[in-house]
Amino acid sequence: MATTSSPKPSVGGSGMNSILKKTLVALTGLALIGFLVTHLAGNLFLFGGSTAFDGYAARLEAMGPLLIVAEIGLAAIFVAHVVMAIKLTVENKAARGPQGYAVNDNQSEAPSRFMIVSGVLVALFVILHVKGFKFGPREEFGGSLYALVMNEFANPGVAIFYIFSMLILGTHLTHGFWSLFQTLGLIKPEKRRKVKQICTVLGWGIALGFLVLPLFGLLSGKKRTPLPDGVKELIQKTEAVR
Amino acid sequence: MNFTLNVWRQKNGQSSGQFVTYQAKDISPDASFLEMLDVVNNEMEAKGEEPIAFDHDCREGICGTCGIAINGRPHGPRNAVTTCQLYMRNFRDGDTLTLEPWRAQAFPVVRDLVVDRSAFDKIIQAGGFISINTGNAPDANGLPVPKDDAERAMDAAACIGCGACVAACKNASAMLFVSAKVSHLALLPQGQPESRKRVKSMVQTMDEAGFGNCTNTGACEAECPKSISLDNIARLNREFLLSKLFG
Ligand code: SF4
Ligand code: FES
Repeated sequence: MATTSSPKPSVGGSGMNSILKKTLVALTGLALIGFLVTHLAGNLFLFGGSTAFDGYAARLEAMGPLLIVAEIGLAAIFVAHVVMAIKLTVENKAARGPQGYAVNDNQSEAPSRFMIVSGVLVALFVILHVKGFKFGPREEFGGSLYALVMNEFANPGVAIFYIFSMLILGTHLTHGFWSLFQTLGLIKPEKRRKVKQICTVLGWGIALGFLVLPLFGLLSGKKRTPLPDGVKELIQKTEAVR
Repeated sequence: MNFTLNVWRQKNGQSSGQFVTYQAKDISPDASFLEMLDVVNNEMEAKGEEPIAFDHDCREGICGTCGIAINGRPHGPRNAVTTCQLYMRNFRDGDTLTLEPWRAQAFPVVRDLVVDRSAFDKIIQAGGFISINTGNAPDANGLPVPKDDAERAMDAAACIGCGACVAACKNASAMLFVSAKVSHLALLPQGQPESRKRVKSMVQTMDEAGFGNCTNTGACEAECPKSISLDNIARLNREFLLSKLFG
């Protein structure tokens, strides 16, 4: 019953079997969704003004090396997700063969067909976002991340770019969220439709949750609040510990 | 009814093909799609031309031999039917129909609309059967099977191996087919003794044949003439990962 032929390389010659490759995309995807949830929860401090938001940022940064380890881990997961997804896409294009269809009326849902497009757009967004905020010119705003973020969002171009990116994230999650449970075999097959519905709602909940932040910033207008005293003390204390 | 046909013509696997336009005239609305092609072919043969090659056998939707991508949809515009069970009344008089073979690296074109689907046979040979000795016919209720499981196993067993799932999938993935074959055995007690070995072996053979990686788009389920559910793919993934984790 078992094949006696020596295992040939699988699709694309990676030697890794198709389901395991997808499992990697699914697991890293799940981890990234976990990050999105905590990131969103933290970002909601933006509504609390400078005291709440800068205080939250300072407490995070006070974690020091622990935070750096977490950030490196997150970056590694992100890269693994992207690299494996690109690899799968290349293999899948090749699996169609040299001659494609002249007429193709694919019946699948659009978000599932454009995962690589939405994925690349989200990845570009992440790069610009990290560059603009994490490595942004915070000193210009008296060290207040809140002021930096709010001023960026007050710029309509930036706000619209953020809002657009979150809509793309929503479509990515529309397919990615439920699909990961399907790939991991975590759901009872009979519960698939239910899981898909719940994941679609949660996925859009996350995307729209992020979306209100730039909208809030855009509507609030420019703000140049100096760092509140309490937060200043917290930052100084952290620096003293280091 | 009259139709304009854009048909993919290709001499063999080595040559490159192209579309050729034909007219199908005076077709009965009650003709099946394949009967319509028969009419066109008869006319061509009378004129000494090479008829259009297409696969068919039972012509009653049970063997899985027929299969043409019609206007970009495997087995045509109707859901849950094979090409042989598609009738010309499902089209409008004067329609232009584009006929293409299944397009997949693992299904090379043999001629015109005929493709080589022996990759599916290799997958079945890798484990799509039971080799345990089941002895004499047991008592009717000697081996209890829950009703739900029996139903699901039967639904999965309805797969006729036509390959429309591969043809429809943007990744040319064979997961719906393999999942149906793994599921109908995995759901029944007779399939249990070899279940771990079976799923690993079939997935490996599937990958080696050059099918793409499933990304759960669901195009297969939409085109499958037997309405095989994506649920089976969830079950296949579960069976496979369990077999990897626990031998
Ligand atoms: S799963 Fe459906 S589409 Fe695929 S081979 Fe079986 S019957 Fe054909
Ligand atoms: S010819 Fe047998 S299913 Fe169509």
